[in-house]
Amino acid sequence: MSATSEAPAAFRHAAARPGPLRLIGEAIEDIRSRRRLVRYLVQADIKKKGADTFLGNLWWIMDPLLQMGVYVVFVSLILSVKTPDYPLFILSAILPWKWFSSSLSDAAGSVVSQEKLIKQIQFPKLVLPVAATTAGVVGFLFGLIPLAGIMLLYPHRISVFMLLVPAIALVQYVFTLGMALLVAAINVFFRDLGNVLRHVLRLWFYLSPALYAMSTLDASSTFQSNPVLRTVAHANPFAVLFESYRAVIYGKPEGPPHAPDFQSLVLLLAASVLLVAFSAIVFKRLEPTFAKVL
Amino acid sequence: MAIATPPPVSASSPLAIDATDLGVRYSLRFTKKTTLRQSLGQMFSRDAAEPFWALRNVSFDLVRGESLAVIGPNGAGKSTLLQVLAGIILPSEGSVEVSGHVSSLLTLGAGFDQELSGRENILLAGAFMGLDDGLVRQLVPSIVEYADLGQFIDAPLKTYSSGMRARLGFAIATSVDPDILLLDEVLATGDAEFREKSKARVIELVKAAKGIVLVTHDMVWVEEYCNRAILLEKGRVIVEGNPSEVVRTHMEHSAERKAERAARLGSAGL
Repeated sequence: MSATSEAPAAFRHAAARPGPLRLIGEAIEDIRSRRRLVRYLVQADIKKKGADTFLGNLWWIMDPLLQMGVYVVFVSLILSVKTPDYPLFILSAILPWKWFSSSLSDAAGSVVSQEKLIKQIQFPKLVLPVAATTAGVVGFLFGLIPLAGIMLLYPHRISVFMLLVPAIALVQYVFTLGMALLVAAINVFFRDLGNVLRHVLRLWFYLSPALYAMSTLDASSTFQSNPVLRTVAHANPFAVLFESYRAVIYGKPEGPPHAPDFQSLVLLLAASVLLVAFSAIVFKRLEPTFAKVL
Repeated sequence: MAIATPPPVSASSPLAIDATDLGVRYSLRFTKKTTLRQSLGQMFSRDAAEPFWALRNVSFDLVRGESLAVIGPNGAGKSTLLQVLAGIILPSEGSVEVSGHVSSLLTLGAGFDQELSGRENILLAGAFMGLDDGLVRQLVPSIVEYADLGQFIDAPLKTYSSGMRARLGFAIATSVDPDILLLDEVLATGDAEFREKSKARVIELVKAAKGIVLVTHDMVWVEEYCNRAILLEKGRVIVEGNPSEVVRTHMEHSAERKAERAARLGSAGL
């Protein structure tokens, strides 16, 4: 064990509080040295989600389609909002949202669910939310299969801009990671965060331009007369993400896909990196107390 | 009785564990499973929760090759001490220095995943313990053999009996030879046959390890296999030294507590 272990061979623990930069360094080292553990956890997570249901991985493809069907019936048939190619319009928002919301709920429970282990073995707890967030990517990738299927129904919307989806997804991943570390740590102290989170997520989805376009909101009289509200709505990370995905997958109702707003995306990426750093500091600061509180 | 006692180690060898003035404080505010509403309430109420010291002013060292027993009544802080030595809990005051790889056999099979197979659980447990993956893969056959799982090794863990699960946990935890071994009442798992088998394995490890800290209620074991003992009560070291003396003090104190309790019950008219 001595020569081949990934865990430190010796340690000295005293009642000291390391500074924020040191904590970020430790966080990076935690993940770097335990890459394999993260990989095993991701694999286990994927396997479990597939094994849990009778249809297995097929469910991952069906689920976004069914959700899309619900919204298509609701919005275009019942509310009779006439947006051309609405299934594609809505699917380009459902897929990233499903990824975000499921990653966040999984991450919220990731530390708490390993309660027993945390009291038994010393390991970097950071791997738990990181693995939960990373496993969520696989669900998103599966979601691209039904997206490809739906795209074939609207061939005039197929464009090279689709190749930008991974870049937008990267921004989303960083943002999700920052949120995930935060909720995973806080959930240790407030076990009902999961319930709160469910409602926050639902509200967040409907307030973000998922079922409607940002331009629809901008045109509304409330937004015309209230610039503060308008600024807040545009600062919503998911306003940027949904609009970007929609730009490259769907385009405009009357026009084909186009380049996303790169400036907003870069700004969001920078803010997300800061969020990850902040969350990592909070997580590392709280980590030593997990074994006591759980 | 003294046949198996490891030979005393010369004082010149380096320390495996050096604990100085160790204290672990629990703030009871968060240790109770709180909800947002409760803690918001607490935040605004004046009566701040009393801090609770699970350990206080604990100093001791472990010389390489030594086997140290930690005994004491329930709630004395024995398990907390092992958690600090394993690096799971950070001390609130004082310091602990550990040189060498620590393996903690606290409760077995804690990190098992019910959906994964036995083999996958071995790899996952190894990764949690921070073991090199190549090494763990090499160890798999011997773990499977020791745990006596046969073809079940590739079946999901949820199909295992509790005995099989305990055997697998024990086999994984003892598959590596650590420098410092932390044991917390591991001898009480499984059926009689496996208990014998596991006891033999622990004795093997005790002989091979460079240092052992053992928490147990088995006083015979303490006198037989340990060359030093600490008596903990209410988080403080009461006595430290020769196992048989420490055990004697522990017995006396337990008898006193028992008598006290009996007297209290008697005076309450029961």
